[in-house]
Amino acid sequence: MAPFKIVQASDTAVPVKCWSCAVAQNESTLFCSTCSKVQPPLRMDYFQVFQLPRILRLDVDVLEKEFYRLSRKLHPDRYARATESEREWSLADTALVNDAYRTLQDPIRRTEYLLKLEGESIGEEHSGKVSNSRASRVPSDLLEEVFELNMQLDELREGDASLRSDVEAAGQKFEAMLDELDSKLEAEWARWDEGDATARSTAQKQMVALLDRRRYLDNLLRDVKKVLGA
Amino acid sequence: MAYSEKVIDHYNNPRNVGQLDKAASEVGTGLVGAPECGDVMRLQIRVNPETQIIEEAKFKTFGCGSAIASSSLATEWVKGKTVEEALEIKNTEIVKELALPPVKIHCSVLAEDAIRAAIGDWKKKNGVAEAAEAAAAH
Repeated sequence: MAPFKIVQASDTAVPVKCWSCAVAQNESTLFCSTCSKVQPPLRMDYFQVFQLPRILRLDVDVLEKEFYRLSRKLHPDRYARATESEREWSLADTALVNDAYRTLQDPIRRTEYLLKLEGESIGEEHSGKVSNSRASRVPSDLLEEVFELNMQLDELREGDASLRSDVEAAGQKFEAMLDELDSKLEAEWARWDEGDATARSTAQKQMVALLDRRRYLDNLLRDVKKVLGA
Repeated sequence: MAYSEKVIDHYNNPRNVGQLDKAASEVGTGLVGAPECGDVMRLQIRVNPETQIIEEAKFKTFGCGSAIASSSLATEWVKGKTVEEALEIKNTEIVKELALPPVKIHCSVLAEDAIRAAIGDWKKKNGVAEAAEAAAAH
């Protein structure tokens, strides 16, 4: 695993005292590091929930074990005789842990989430705000092929079975493009995890572009599978 | 999120779906995509070479209801306009007409891009002065 680089989140830099034993916590945490009492849900990002630095290559098995460990520690049975506040916090923390696990265990969602934390707008959030950079983000070489395949899918849906083999071939081609793209993405994860600030900034831009392209391929392949499977 | 009645109307009864002969000199084709959601949109115009009036417009969009409605509306609006007038259409007008929510604004941007791309293609085919194109650009 890559050497850890701790990225300090600016909005959580203020030390918070444990409500129970009043010992100040160095960082946002679900449980007090001194008395182990559950803490109210604070502004914590998903990496902080698992006490991880912002890295992209995570061992999902380790993450899963940690998820189960935290879930057990937060289980309602453990809070049956706790104060009402603690019961509420443990529930809220459980929801946070669930969301964090769901996002981080999927490499693509993890990447999108990290890019958002780093200030990028992802998916529909672009909202056409940045009209200058917009054109450069559209993968124009893909457009023709994407459009053509969509047309064939439409005709296939309407019952023109002769197109089936064409669509299958196109599907395989796009599948291969997706594989190629994913290996590029993996290289950027490494660059992010191991690089300095400059490398990270480059990796960040590359990842945004790759994810844009990936979304096209992903949507298309989903449709291909739906039509062929029908 | 609920779609506005106008979006639903355009989605259920899209205007001007289809295609024009891409190879014809009086036809301009714009093919654009939205990286936000993976939508693709093709908008085509047929321009009267004498009057420069857009006499016919067709579209085909693969995407969400808002993208379909935006392109449907765009074809309605460009028809009967001159090429230069059509370039004046702004995505914000589409947003207003269709009451698009913020997360769907990019659909209207896509439609505006498609109009520009179609007109740009027509100009290129017909050797219309670059100056006019540059002036019309953002």
